[in-house]
Amino acid sequence: MKILIADDDAVSLRLLEKTLERAGYEVTAVSHGRKAAEELCRPDGPRLALLDWMMPQLDGPGVCRTVRRKRSQSHVYLVLLTSKSSKEDIVEGLESGADDYLTKPFDLGELKARLRTGMRILELEDNLLEAREDMRYKATHDSLTSLLNRGTILELLAGELNRKRRDKSSVSIALGDLDHFKLVNDTYGHIMGDEVLREVGRRLLGSVRSYDFVGRYGGEEFLVVLNNCVAEKSVDRVEEIRKAIGSSPVRTTHGRIPITMSLGVAVSSPSDTRPLEEILCEVDGALYAAKSAGRNCCRLGNVCRE
Amino acid sequence: MTKSEHAAIDRYVNMPELLARVEDDRELLAELLALFIKDFPKLRDVLHHAVHADVPSQVEEAAHALKGMLANLSIQRGAELAANIEAAARAGDAREIQLAMDAFNAEETGLLPAVAAFMGGSEP
Repeated sequence: MKILIADDDAVSLRLLEKTLERAGYEVTAVSHGRKAAEELCRPDGPRLALLDWMMPQLDGPGVCRTVRRKRSQSHVYLVLLTSKSSKEDIVEGLESGADDYLTKPFDLGELKARLRTGMRILELEDNLLEAREDMRYKATHDSLTSLLNRGTILELLAGELNRKRRDKSSVSIALGDLDHFKLVNDTYGHIMGDEVLREVGRRLLGSVRSYDFVGRYGGEEFLVVLNNCVAEKSVDRVEEIRKAIGSSPVRTTHGRIPITMSLGVAVSSPSDTRPLEEILCEVDGALYAAKSAGRNCCRLGNVCRE
Repeated sequence: MTKSEHAAIDRYVNMPELLARVEDDRELLAELLALFIKDFPKLRDVLHHAVHADVPSQVEEAAHALKGMLANLSIQRGAELAANIEAAARAGDAREIQLAMDAFNAEETGLLPAVAAFMGGSEP
């Protein structure tokens, strides 16, 4: 665990440095407050700190205030270590943003115990952040394919439609539907069907650029948002996606299952002010046209299917 | 190390407490005392200048720094006397500052020679 110690008293600094190194900490020792604040505000800076109160340039409470103001990503556990020991000082120190307060000269056992408390709190925070990130992922992604889920892809598409108006660029939207997927489920069972869907997700992601979006729209329907993609190029790009999907049968535990995809495409130019629903309606119509044309093809839309 | 040299440092430093704080690391103890010999006169001079200049805030700051250093090294009486100066300066009481300074000066006169003698000898 990294720890920062800040003290302008060389004796105190060296004593703390050696004590904490012996206790297994990776110590950064600085002799003034400004350097301490700078180190603690770095994204990869220490998350545990022992700060003297009176220091040149910036005092301990000043460091606490700076860190609390600037670093918002993850909590830094700040302990003020000082020979100021009145109740008023303790209140002032804690109000400045310190998590704990120790008086000099420190008691070795107490110092180590307080730092362990700090580590427990940081660990708890890490666990909470991890759980929050996990929940955020689950709320935005499809659990089967790990692609974006319907709500998220539509939200991103709405954002992109706004952005392309500002940037005067175009967005192409493709809706793909696996051909005869019901037959896959009926013939091989739903578990094989799930394997196919997962592989389709991988192939879709592999066939778009890093700044495009892919989401699972419904059962076997997938929505692809091709950013900065003009009308002249959209059909070619979607053709590439279609070929990538059908390039080879999907290998499953029950053998190789051939698949193809039909796709409908719509392009929203910079001047297009239609709402999202209308554009989706056009894409849906284009997909219907692709299905009607015999499947395993793509069609560019321009009409809204009722 | 003679008995009298031991006695000299023991008059100023609570050695069992200090050894416990450094986890009985004699090398670290020597390093800290060397730092003390180097830094203490500077801090003491800062304090004297602040007193002569009659700036209580600077007196308070310098006395506070001395108090911390002395306390870390278990120089308990010295730390108490520095704390008295700090308190008098915070109160802005010039007479009390002078009285506390006199007591501090009397105490610290033998401090550095005692530490230096100890450093020149063997382990405690």
